[in-house]
Amino acid sequence: MDSALDLRRWSLRGVFALIVAVVLISALLPLRVEAPRFPGPDLVLCVTLAWVLRRPDVLPVLFVVLAVLLEDFLFQRPPGLWALLVLAGSEVIRRQAYREGEIPFLLEYGMVAGTITAMMVAERVLLAIAFVPQPSLGAHLLHLATTIAIYPIVVAISVFVLGVRPLTTDGPRIRGMRP
Amino acid sequence: MARYRNDDDSYFKPIRRVLVGCLVVGLLCLFLLWRIDSPRVERIRMEIVERVVPGLDWAMAPITGLSRMAEDFQSYARLYEQNEELRRELQQMKAWREAALQLEQENAQLKDLNTVRIEPELTFITGVVMADSGSPFRRSVILNVGAEDGVQDGWATMDGLGLVGRIAGTGESAARVLLLTDPSSRVPVILQPSGQRAMLVGDNSGTPLIDFIEAPEQVRPGDRVVTSGDGGLFPADLLAGQVARATDGRFRLRLSADYERLKFLRVLRSQPTPPLPEAAPIDGIVTPPLAALEALAYG
Repeated sequence: MDSALDLRRWSLRGVFALIVAVVLISALLPLRVEAPRFPGPDLVLCVTLAWVLRRPDVLPVLFVVLAVLLEDFLFQRPPGLWALLVLAGSEVIRRQAYREGEIPFLLEYGMVAGTITAMMVAERVLLAIAFVPQPSLGAHLLHLATTIAIYPIVVAISVFVLGVRPLTTDGPRIRGMRP
Repeated sequence: MARYRNDDDSYFKPIRRVLVGCLVVGLLCLFLLWRIDSPRVERIRMEIVERVVPGLDWAMAPITGLSRMAEDFQSYARLYEQNEELRRELQQMKAWREAALQLEQENAQLKDLNTVRIEPELTFITGVVMADSGSPFRRSVILNVGAEDGVQDGWATMDGLGLVGRIAGTGESAARVLLLTDPSSRVPVILQPSGQRAMLVGDNSGTPLIDFIEAPEQVRPGDRVVTSGDGGLFPADLLAGQVARATDGRFRLRLSADYERLKFLRVLRSQPTPPLPEAAPIDGIVTPPLAALEALAYG
């Protein structure tokens, strides 16, 4: 389609890659080796879900999976598992993105919180099935809570600073226009 | 909310569905492969780490530098307090120095009496910490020494002060150190004055749990904790830290190693313990193998 849209799309992809890189680098920096007081939020997950819901064309599925898989490998997590769950979660959200009409933010927030919770529950269940030692439930719940808590902030920054808004169109929808 | 799909969906979906399906199967296979054949996948992981982490150096150097500067600046602000503190410590240290000198003399005399041989095998390789694990649920660091330098899995790692962890995963020029605080770290230890054996269990907190103590009533907070060398994994008598009692009454380890400033780590070259020969001669008599004994008894 027109090159302006393509340029915008690729620049947003660049911003996403930059966010992933910053998260990786700041997490890997050997500044604080000792255990943190509580586990921080999963920023990449929040950004992925918020963007997929608004601009599913910006984050194709392969892009998301590659980013999370790299994270899996570098963060010493079981490789593939979290990437699989992020794939599943983002597909659930992506399906919502193709629906007609505006979703009020509270409804969206509830939906995303539910998806994230389901993903973490699924992770624990799969790890338990595979007999992999797991982090303690309390730490995991805190991780979940902080992740859900920063979601509105991520959405606000995405929408108002980065301009990740659903594409609007008058008339029939066409390819590339996916509000 | 009307529920009809986009035009482009029907056009786009079949290929996408195949792609998503392939990705799901692929990722699931990767996870299962990791579960079944962990060493191979961990080797792939080390290769990826090796590829990526040194590449991040250019980004890390300025950030690390800046944060160090910030820390330094903070310490300038507390210069006066620090000075006072150091003076006090110096006073104490003078007393300790006197004690140390006396002990050194005593030790030299005793060693002389004993003709002790210090184990020559216990040499070490020093590496620099390149990165930490990143995940909130794993505690490990990446060192810049690896298989090229002869580092092997399972070797003990110390900073100048105490035990830090052990090597778990080596690449060509990088190695991962599993810290004592990692949830999967288990190290057999001895609590020093009472001589009790226990297990040091990492649980992702700053102070690992000391578990399986036989007689907890003999243990006092402040007892020294050293590795026991059981299982042949670690050399014996490496200092790990001191016993502390947590608020829930359980014993935890206050680490000697300074986990806040892990920069240079020593990887101890441990020698594998030779396996016992199958039929060791007892008092010079070579015992016959079991089959021969049975043949004697029943033949």
